Amino acid sequence: MTGRLLVALVWMCLVWLMPADAVAQSAPPAQPAPEGGPASNLWLTGGVAFGTLRGDCQTCEEEFPYRHATSVLVNAGYRANERMDVGAEVFWMPVDSEGGQQINTTHIDAVAQFRPWASQGFFVKGGAGMAFVRNWVDLTAQDPINQKALSVVIGTGWAFRPAQRFGFQVFASQHVAAIGDLQQAEENIPDVVGNFWSIGVSVVIR
Amino acid sequence: MGRVTYRALFVALLALCACPVGAAAQPAEAVTPVAPETPVSIETLMAIDPPASNEPFKVKWRDVVFGSDADLAQEPQKPYDWVSERRACEGCPPRSVGRALWQTTAINVIYELANLIRGQVTARITPKTWWDNMSHGWVWDLDDFEVNQVGHPYQGNNYFTSGRANGLSFYESAALTAFGSATWEYFGETNLPSVNDFINTTLGGIALGEMFHRASWLVRDTRATGRGRRWREIGALALDPLTGLNRFRTGDANRMTDKPPDMVPSSIEGFTSAGVLWRGSETRAVNATGQPFLELDMLYGNLQAGESKTPYDAFTVRLRFGGGATFSEARVRGRLLGEPFGGGGKMQFTMMQSYDYQANDAYRIGSQSIEGAVGTTMSLSTNTAVWFAGWGGLTVLGAIDSLPLGVTERPPPEEPGTGGGAGQGVSEGPRFYDYGPGSTYGTFALFTHNRRAIAALLYEGRHIYSLDGVRANHFVQRARIDAMVPLRGRLGLGASGEYFFRQSFYQDEERTQVEYRFPQFRAYFTWSIE
Repeated sequence: MTGRLLVALVWMCLVWLMPADAVAQSAPPAQPAPEGGPASNLWLTGGVAFGTLRGDCQTCEEEFPYRHATSVLVNAGYRANERMDVGAEVFWMPVDSEGGQQINTTHIDAVAQFRPWASQGFFVKGGAGMAFVRNWVDLTAQDPINQKALSVVIGTGWAFRPAQRFGFQVFASQHVAAIGDLQQAEENIPDVVGNFWSIGVSVVIR
Repeated sequence: MGRVTYRALFVALLALCACPVGAAAQPAEAVTPVAPETPVSIETLMAIDPPASNEPFKVKWRDVVFGSDADLAQEPQKPYDWVSERRACEGCPPRSVGRALWQTTAINVIYELANLIRGQVTARITPKTWWDNMSHGWVWDLDDFEVNQVGHPYQGNNYFTSGRANGLSFYESAALTAFGSATWEYFGETNLPSVNDFINTTLGGIALGEMFHRASWLVRDTRATGRGRRWREIGALALDPLTGLNRFRTGDANRMTDKPPDMVPSSIEGFTSAGVLWRGSETRAVNATGQPFLELDMLYGNLQAGESKTPYDAFTVRLRFGGGATFSEARVRGRLLGEPFGGGGKMQFTMMQSYDYQANDAYRIGSQSIEGAVGTTMSLSTNTAVWFAGWGGLTVLGAIDSLPLGVTERPPPEEPGTGGGAGQGVSEGPRFYDYGPGSTYGTFALFTHNRRAIAALLYEGRHIYSLDGVRANHFVQRARIDAMVPLRGRLGLGASGEYFFRQSFYQDEERTQVEYRFPQFRAYFTWSIE
């Protein structure tokens, strides 16, 4: 139930933020950014989030439960123009499986963050890259299995920047890790896709 | 996800600009001439003049009159304050992020209604299906190859051009494409949102969208008047419906201005090839029966040199019809970044985005990639030059046809209505192709004489690691040599030989390896375009 609640919160952020900016659209464009605009072309954020994972596979009959954990998200890049930042994102989330074994997932994505209205803090973000899955699921051996997956991320949020170089942002994002076969000790689970919803806060440095 | 009536889109989009919601959503940004005008309602904006006794029937829609030659004479243009209309230049579209978002959403509604009218089960959306999609997360879908690799990129192209039509930049329109794609996946169908659709719609839509947008500006003549001008605007609308409809809506289709400067290429070259190809197989060198084909190649701008940060100010397009499939090849390679380097800038580095779709007897492949290329141009004589280039890149997502191990032939498709009972539009599989990321690499040399291509050499390779489907590493390679002889004027004669080689390394216990080899020969006439 908590998982569905988090998913609902993520979606509420999307719905809440969008109309706010639609109203802001009628305002004159290109208002200067807070405190006279960006201090540099640096784009750096780091923060924590509450995340929910739901793994799924196409051939599996059973319903997979939502699993929750704290996650870490870091963005680093540069400001391409007044509306866009480009860079890299690292998202890390450790989750305990039903049997108590841990699955650590690290997403490393190339991302672009876009602010439709330069004078507002609202942003949307998208990107793709790789996810590295380190799992101990049903293993008899000591060493975990490391696997790579295709990663896609979408997200949104609102940045508040009271000072020229520092601020914070609230964000909601969804990371997808398409892993292919999830390896286990006795059998592989085919066509596994992990969906990671997260909602959190991070520090912004410009 | 789902089968979509793409051919019905053009007709359906005609309703887009007539919808009063869009006008109401952005009242402050409607086109406002300097000469004050009384605010008009949507009813008066679209007025039909009844024909007089001997007058031809004519329809006036906003500033554009249809149907009467007498009204085609260009009226003197009033100077207008394009800056206050949020235009980046006199001929540029007025900028409106809100209208772009609204039109993107309207495109989704039109696609959804088209599917609903066709009786697609996947179009029966409700708030419950929205919530199911949001809470379940993304999956891989099972739709047909053409739907996913051609249909979805085309749909994404509509989102992208709605941004460009409303004055958004390339990258802003790219973000809009992702927005349109994501909202379609969550809210446009009952199917679970698909990760492959999101990537194909977004990246493919960006590539096709900017290509179509720029190609449509090649068709327009914004300094022309009369019937010729009108038909050019309509022709451009066929290539880029969203920009075309918005131009008719704002009256830009009837206004004399210069084209937006960034929509005028530094050069434009191309040629059309029409001929016959013969394809071989593993057991036979070539088939005796030839297959007709028509191929269109275009080089927009100068990819060989120049510093550039303007996306798609130079790109190449290849479209091929026939030759074993109704639509057998589509390639778009657009420059994102260009930078000369080396002594005197002899070498050229280019960062490109590419969209690929190929269907031949050896393989069907579709991909969205980012590539880096290094090239140089050398003069061999006063009239002859050669352009060398090599490239390598990453395939964000590629699709390649594949059969499950032990299956040697793809079964014929089921007749509509005889499926598993899931309903029309619901794909239950099996899906005879795999999805995964990968890499791309290749090299080519193009020889020109008096700026006309006389010979070309091409080698390209691809690797796709299957993440969804039959688990395998797929390698496809292709070598091609073309020779062309000018005949008279723009007419020429050409011949080419190609060789396709495919290896698939399956990750089963036996580590099965499968290889296919196909030669192909062509003879064709060419018609150069400069």
